[in-house]
Amino acid sequence: MKIKTRLYAGFGGLLALLILMLLLVLKMLSDLNGSMNDIVKDRYVKLKEVTSIRFEISNINRELYSMVLESGKPDAVENTVKQIRAARAREEQALEQLEKTAAIEEAQRYVAVLRAQSVEFDQDQNRLIDMVRAGQTDDASALLQGQVQTERIAMFDTVDKLRSVQEQRMDTALQDATRAYTLASRWTVFLIVFSLLVGGFVAVGVVRGTTRSLRQVTSVITAVTEGSKENLPRIAVKTNDEVGDISRAFNAMAEALEEHARHEREFQQAITEQNWLKTKLSEIQTIYQGVQDLETLARMFMSKLAPLVGATYGVFYLKDGVRDQQRLVKLASFADQPDADLDIGANGFRIGEGLVGQCAAENTVLELRDIPDDYIRIASGLGSSKPSSLLVMPIEFEGQVRAVIELASFEPFTDLHHTFLRQVVDNVGTTINSIAYHMQVERLLKESQAMTEELQSQSEELQLQQEELKTINEKLEEQYHNSTLKTQELQRTKEDLEDKARQLVLSSKYKSEFLANMSHELRTPLNSLLILAQMLAENGEGNLTPKQVDFANTIHASGHDLLNLINDVLDLSKVESGKMDVHLEEVLLDEVRSYAERQFAPLARQKGLNFHVQVHASAPGAVYTDGVRLQQIVKNLLSNAMKFTDQGTVQLDIRLEEKRTFTEGSPLAESPSVLAVSVTDTGVGIPKSKQEVIFEAFRQADGTTSRKYGGTGLGLSISREIAHLLGGILEVVSVEGRGSTFTLFLPTEYQAPESGAAETLYESSEAEEVAVTLAPHGEVPDLTESLTAEGPLEGKKVLLVDDDMRNIFALTTALEAQQMRVVFAENGREGVEMLREHPDVDLVLMDIMMPEMDGYEAMRLIRQMQGGEDIPIIALTAKAMKNDRAKCIEAGASDYISKPLNLEQLFSLMRVWLYR
Amino acid sequence: MEDMEDTGDVQLDAQETPEITEVEQIELQLLMEGIYRLQGFDFKNYSLPFLRRRIQHRMNAEKLPTISALQEKVLHDPLMMERLLNDFSVNVTEMFRDPSFFQAFRQRVVPILRDYPYIRIWHAGCSTGEEVYSMAILLHEEGLYHKARLYATDMSERSLKRAESGQFPLQRMQLYTKNYLQAGGTKAFSEYYSAIHETVEFHPFLRENLVFAQHNLVTDRSFNEFHVIVCRNVMIYFDKSLQNRVHRLFYDSLSSGGILALGSREGLALTTLASRYEEVDGLEKLFRKIK
Repeated sequence: MKIKTRLYAGFGGLLALLILMLLLVLKMLSDLNGSMNDIVKDRYVKLKEVTSIRFEISNINRELYSMVLESGKPDAVENTVKQIRAARAREEQALEQLEKTAAIEEAQRYVAVLRAQSVEFDQDQNRLIDMVRAGQTDDASALLQGQVQTERIAMFDTVDKLRSVQEQRMDTALQDATRAYTLASRWTVFLIVFSLLVGGFVAVGVVRGTTRSLRQVTSVITAVTEGSKENLPRIAVKTNDEVGDISRAFNAMAEALEEHARHEREFQQAITEQNWLKTKLSEIQTIYQGVQDLETLARMFMSKLAPLVGATYGVFYLKDGVRDQQRLVKLASFADQPDADLDIGANGFRIGEGLVGQCAAENTVLELRDIPDDYIRIASGLGSSKPSSLLVMPIEFEGQVRAVIELASFEPFTDLHHTFLRQVVDNVGTTINSIAYHMQVERLLKESQAMTEELQSQSEELQLQQEELKTINEKLEEQYHNSTLKTQELQRTKEDLEDKARQLVLSSKYKSEFLANMSHELRTPLNSLLILAQMLAENGEGNLTPKQVDFANTIHASGHDLLNLINDVLDLSKVESGKMDVHLEEVLLDEVRSYAERQFAPLARQKGLNFHVQVHASAPGAVYTDGVRLQQIVKNLLSNAMKFTDQGTVQLDIRLEEKRTFTEGSPLAESPSVLAVSVTDTGVGIPKSKQEVIFEAFRQADGTTSRKYGGTGLGLSISREIAHLLGGILEVVSVEGRGSTFTLFLPTEYQAPESGAAETLYESSEAEEVAVTLAPHGEVPDLTESLTAEGPLEGKKVLLVDDDMRNIFALTTALEAQQMRVVFAENGREGVEMLREHPDVDLVLMDIMMPEMDGYEAMRLIRQMQGGEDIPIIALTAKAMKNDRAKCIEAGASDYISKPLNLEQLFSLMRVWLYR
Repeated sequence: MEDMEDTGDVQLDAQETPEITEVEQIELQLLMEGIYRLQGFDFKNYSLPFLRRRIQHRMNAEKLPTISALQEKVLHDPLMMERLLNDFSVNVTEMFRDPSFFQAFRQRVVPILRDYPYIRIWHAGCSTGEEVYSMAILLHEEGLYHKARLYATDMSERSLKRAESGQFPLQRMQLYTKNYLQAGGTKAFSEYYSAIHETVEFHPFLRENLVFAQHNLVTDRSFNEFHVIVCRNVMIYFDKSLQNRVHRLFYDSLSSGGILALGSREGLALTTLASRYEEVDGLEKLFRKIK
């Protein structure tokens, strides 16, 4: 029977029993209740009626007496009668009720008696009432005391009898009810006990039946936790109930668990093997680290590997050599016997020779079992025995056999060992390769290092030899120099003689030259004067009175005029002595025009003159001549025109002259075209007679002119000389009082004359200017002296570029004291131009902070200049600016020195940089 | 710059020297042995190609056919011995030679030196002293010179004498100035010298902490412990075993954390002591002793 059914049946039975019992008890209770109702309702009501009858009878009796007593008063009587009648009605009602309900025969009988007595009592009453009404009081009293009283007592007696019957009847009923209650109680107790017994039996039966099979299952399941997971107990299936199901399910589960445990064990084993493999692999790999050569690697590898696979003997062979010469060489062994007899492992094989060689040749693993007795013996201190297995394995890298290992063991090699060996061999192949590579690289590195050092030492030796060579060269040079000096001396004597002759011829030229030199000599102190006057006028220290400042200004202005005059004289003498250089270049006429406008338009405005500059359409865009000189002429002509014109117009015309023919052989005639530059004014004009004189030096049209107009009167002379120099002519057309026109004719393409005799003469005289500067007493300069001058400073020419006049002055003085020649410029641009004009400058001192163009820019320009790449430039930097130095070097300075200058340091520096 | 007796025949022996023959090798060893026994200068472990070139050079100059012939002259003629010894001493140097080296020294080594209360620097193989003065200038500019002592040693007395004088020829000053500027000089180079005629004399304050002494790297031992050892382009003339020996000498002479400065073409990597140093500047061959 299933547990379900059993439980339903058990609990169902119990429930049914309980309901039955309940019904019985209810029935008994309802019976008990019925009999109690009888007693209360029937018996008690009847008793109550009886008592009511007795009460009413007494009541009537009492009224009757009162009526008799009050017989004299009809009203009272009538009232009493009413009372009596009411009581009689109530009595009648109770009696009727009794008659209806009386069930017991004895009671009915007494009720009938009571009815008869009541009727009789009633009649007597009526008679009595009538007697009272009739006033027969005495009769009435008699009757009342007689008969009525008797009747009343009889009635009372009947009532009491009825009552006792009734009371007796109630006692009986009560006894019946008590009996029934006792019976019911007994039944109830019996039923409860019975139900408990039955329920207990059912419960015990059900529980027993269920738990027994469950306990069986539990004990089996409990047994699972102990013992092997692969051999679980099974539950015997006895029943077909739920427990049976559980048992079947458990059995299935046990089977699955056993399966799982088996898998797990297998898996665990695999993992252990893998772990072993990995651990050992990494152990082996760690020995590779830091190994730098193959021998160490082989030795460490074998001594680690052999015990791991249970090998008792092992040899490592490395493939060595190239191509045909390849051999397998024993590099290391495990458990090797150095003893000759027992020496295991041959020392080498050729490829293909023996198993080892074969293994290398075929790149395959060879394994031998059942080794013959005398094949090899493995020995220990106690004895020796033959191994049972032999394994020969190639070690390859990228398909190439690099080495072979041979292992022997008493035990056969397991699959795990094989797997392990395969992986190890893979790894070690790579390692062997990288170590071999590393060794190769190291060898090459060593070679290359040795070669590098060798190269360095060779280069140093070469340098040394170069030095030696240089020294020899210098010696030779010195000797050569000495011999040239001698030659020069001879040459000089010869030149002296020639000079003398030349001097005679050029005595007039010498005059000009002297003038030129003198102007130069004049200019130098004048510069100082100007600088100092300016310094004074600046009144930097504030200790001069305005008047004194005025004086200084006057000195400066006068000095300036004087300087202009000297410049003019110098120019003239330069031209006359032929020392003026001509730099031919492409000159844009537009530039000439803009120059004239720029320079003279303001002056014209100031004087109230009309000033026109006209470049005719016929004029070419550019001419090939010396632009600076052309400008100089234009400047001279225009300033003259402005000077001598008080009102009217000054005009500059530039055109192509096509009509005129020029003297045969002159550059103008040879030039393909001629440029005419004319300046026309409406000034004072020049009388015909004076028109030639004005071009002569130091002459003006009128002796008084200079006083009126100022100026040196040299402008025209210089202009004409320059015009000649440029291959052109300068002419004048003038009407006195009307104005003049000066016209400059220039060849548009001027070819400087080939350096002829005159040029050579100029050049030599120029060389002598140096000599004159050096030897101001006019002695014949000693050329050898200037060539072998002691130290590098003397006679060197320095270009000083600085905007601070005080610096220029101080430095010039200091440098000249060292017998150096100094030229200066006040800003970068001037400096660059100055260097261009003086290509013989040996060294440049360059201030950095200057107006117009600073030192950096100037140095950069100089470095780009032809001939300016190598000239030493010393930058003068302000100490505060550290960054400046790097910038100086970057801009092209050779070295720098900080301001304020330490002269001793400066001279050292200059000696270094002037060294040639 | 060397003696001028051999004016007649100086030529660059740039042509490839042929493979050394056995006889030549014996002759060479005998000559070296002779020099060692006679003068105490040990060139036996000098680089073989170098010795051969220098000897060939001398043979050419003296017009001698064999090393044996040279040996005869060298052993009997002290002058010839001196010439040959001078040939072996290659005094190629400059101030601030390899400016980048000095710049690296300034940037990498000077910060280390700042922490020392006292600095000892050894210039081994200082030749004519240009680099020693350069180092003095560098230290001066870094404000370390007052607490530094520079030991300059060379095996050649002649070179030392010149080094001690603090005078250098004017002709190379332009190059030195360029080097100085490239080496990161912070002042003007001209502040350190006065130029007189053909020579330049460095200011005496630079000599104050310099010690010049004769010392032969091949035979002599360590004589102090140093914070910096500068030995540039000296070991290029040595063979491997001698290089290792000298490196050992330097290692023993360096304080822990001391700096070793080598020439631009030299290295530590292939010597036995490579692992004892760490690179401070690999390019400029500055190494620091680490253990």
